[in-house]
Amino acid sequence: MRVRRLVGLIVANLATQRLRAALTILGIVVGTALLVFFIGLGQGLRERVLNRIFPVNQLELEPRAVQVFGIEQIASDVPLDDARIAQVARLPGVVRAFGKQKSGFPARLWGGKELIGYNLFTEAFFDGMPAVVLRSELDTIEDVAAKRREAAARTAARCDVDLDCLAGQGCRDGTCELVVWASRFRDDLAIVLPCAASADCAQGVGCHGGRCGSGHSALPAEAAARCLLPESAGNGRGLEFDREVGVLARPCDAQGDFCPIAGSACPAGTYCAGDDPDTVLGWCEPPLPAVLNPLLIEVFNSDMARSLGAAPLASLHALYGIRFHVAFGDSYFAKDAARDRQQVKQAVVVGFSRKAPELGVALPLSLVRALNARFRSQAAAQVYDAVLIETLSNERVPEVVAGAEKLGFQLSRKSRAARTVGTVVFVTALALILLAFVVLLVAAAQIAQTFALLVHERRREIAVLRALGATRGAVAFLVLGEAAVLGVSGGTLGVALARAAAAGVDLAARAALAGVPLLPDGFFAFPVWAAPLGVAVGIVFCVAGALGPARRAAQMDPAEVLAQG
Amino acid sequence: MTPLPALPAAVERPGPATRVVAALSARGLKRRYQIDGRPVDALAGVDIEVQPGESVAIVGKSGAGKSTLLNLIGALDRGYEGELRVFGRELRTLSDAELARFRNQQIGFVFQAFHLLPQLSVGRNVMLPAAFGGGLTDGEVETRARALLAELGLSDRFDQNPAQMSGGERQRVAIARALLLEPPLLVCDEPTGSLDAETGRQILAVLADVRARRGTTLLLVTHDPAVARSADRTITLAGGRSAAGEAA
Repeated sequence: MRVRRLVGLIVANLATQRLRAALTILGIVVGTALLVFFIGLGQGLRERVLNRIFPVNQLELEPRAVQVFGIEQIASDVPLDDARIAQVARLPGVVRAFGKQKSGFPARLWGGKELIGYNLFTEAFFDGMPAVVLRSELDTIEDVAAKRREAAARTAARCDVDLDCLAGQGCRDGTCELVVWASRFRDDLAIVLPCAASADCAQGVGCHGGRCGSGHSALPAEAAARCLLPESAGNGRGLEFDREVGVLARPCDAQGDFCPIAGSACPAGTYCAGDDPDTVLGWCEPPLPAVLNPLLIEVFNSDMARSLGAAPLASLHALYGIRFHVAFGDSYFAKDAARDRQQVKQAVVVGFSRKAPELGVALPLSLVRALNARFRSQAAAQVYDAVLIETLSNERVPEVVAGAEKLGFQLSRKSRAARTVGTVVFVTALALILLAFVVLLVAAAQIAQTFALLVHERRREIAVLRALGATRGAVAFLVLGEAAVLGVSGGTLGVALARAAAAGVDLAARAALAGVPLLPDGFFAFPVWAAPLGVAVGIVFCVAGALGPARRAAQMDPAEVLAQG
Repeated sequence: MTPLPALPAAVERPGPATRVVAALSARGLKRRYQIDGRPVDALAGVDIEVQPGESVAIVGKSGAGKSTLLNLIGALDRGYEGELRVFGRELRTLSDAELARFRNQQIGFVFQAFHLLPQLSVGRNVMLPAAFGGGLTDGEVETRARALLAELGLSDRFDQNPAQMSGGERQRVAIARALLLEPPLLVCDEPTGSLDAETGRQILAVLADVRARRGTTLLLVTHDPAVARSADRTITLAGGRSAAGEAA
């Protein structure tokens, strides 16, 4: 009861000096706001920006390299094969590990006419990656969950062709169905590759009837069924039935995607892929699922669009489903493969990932392996260039890195950059938080000064309170209580100011950076403890500032003060 | 007059004793200060005895030691030599917290400058001592405060700001505040010093009435002969020593 009455006295004291109280807590408001703002910014950059680009618990390792006359060379002769990947996967703290294989063959690509009016031509580089590594990011960027929710809420429309359906949908079996591009990036895809012997195909895949049989169809079952040839139809070049690839392919006319045997066009979602650039007849197959790095679009928008006379791309979503051509075995710079070994395929953009090469294309690992086997060797197709690992938690990363180093690995350039950026973000956020603490210290000094003045001004009042029975503790409580109330107010206002400033910055960023692909919803992430921390810091610094004056007030000699009249 | 709610038993009161305990007893009371490094005796041997319910005026010229004596009796200062007992308690032996509690429950202060807190209403000023002790509930405190204000002719001023009141009214508020916890000793430092003669007389009448109704011991420090005359007797301080008492 006594404490409640003292609190009432504190509130009455503050209520009569609102302006002074407001001025007193100004520094605390600013300091707390800076603290919470920078905590939110640091956390936001890590969670919403950095973790999306370089998930902290996902690392890329590559065999340790040494510099020889300024040239980086892999230090070990031991190939990075499945056995070594398994070795990495057994490291403590590692959840799973996958191999990544780069293309080691010449290739070039062209496309873009649908977007900018003419085709762009470039040398092509590929990273083969397991679908599971990209799945989450592909789904997030494409917002597959939202698409599915939207599709569930609608009644499927009847259709004859894709054009009858809404954007993002395709016509399948007379009904419009949702097109989820990300799901087309699968590990079990196969492409039709001509071969003379099994050595031309990937390991474990045989050469049947002049083509590598390497898996199952990516086509919907019904489309594949339409495409199936009768076994009896196999009687010559390009018309042989192959159990391995037959479900996927059927012979067709590369000039018109026409299937001369079935007497119809290639099924929806497929095209006629020729055996080589000069072959008229080929096989209906789906385009290669290509994943691009969003950075590519940023580079296009910022550096290329103007000089090419093209409009910048407003959104990554405009690129989904865009097809382009790839000529495998053909190069602008390197020696071409023999003409009859070259192949021209179509690829389709099915998603975006920061893990994809910045100036290249990510393809399913199985395809890159098959192509490496064809253009390089069976052995080359068994060797990976890097290991992608996922750790149990962020805290286990240093332990995993140390373990991997013992196995002869080092962090890839990308992961090193991620850790460097992460460290820079951490250190910068820390420095800014320290700056906030400096502001708070200055505010505390100002509060000390204000309270010293306050105590001096109220010395007679304090003496009277002592005469009425206030103990030294009660007097100190009154002074510190005022400071604490100011701290609560200052801290709360500071937190509110920080949140408002963050919202403002996000709003301004959205306006200023409109059109930048993959812009996060916001740059701030406020942990649940940020607001209580802000208020607590406000209280601590206010009370700390008032400690000295409170002590002086408590030690004041009431007799001496009252004697002064 | 509305009877005031009884104080809880926990509040110390000079209980019935087999022998009468003096309200105030000082023997050879000395108080020495260091001023510019030199010892100065503000009180150089004061002997006083005041009985419960008595009204005593302490008079003397400026520098005679009146305020020093008041601070010692009011338990605001315990740096004395000699003996000083208030209701039988040797003040020097009390701890700081005990002194605060003693002031809260045994002594009521009335100052020349009233010393009301401007940020509090009249009622909350009167209720202030209850913030530091007394053991009364909120309801009891408010009832007592309202009854005291009514007794002192300020029944409709409970929520008013003291700044809007006259000097005499403010001093009555200060008296109400001093009486909230029914202290047996009222220490008044120049209670009419800031008031005109007529208002001063009214305040003295109020104090006399309070003493008559409650049996409160009154100690009036003054240099005003009129105030001194209102007391039962006068103790004159001169050069830090007490002269013989003189009946009014």
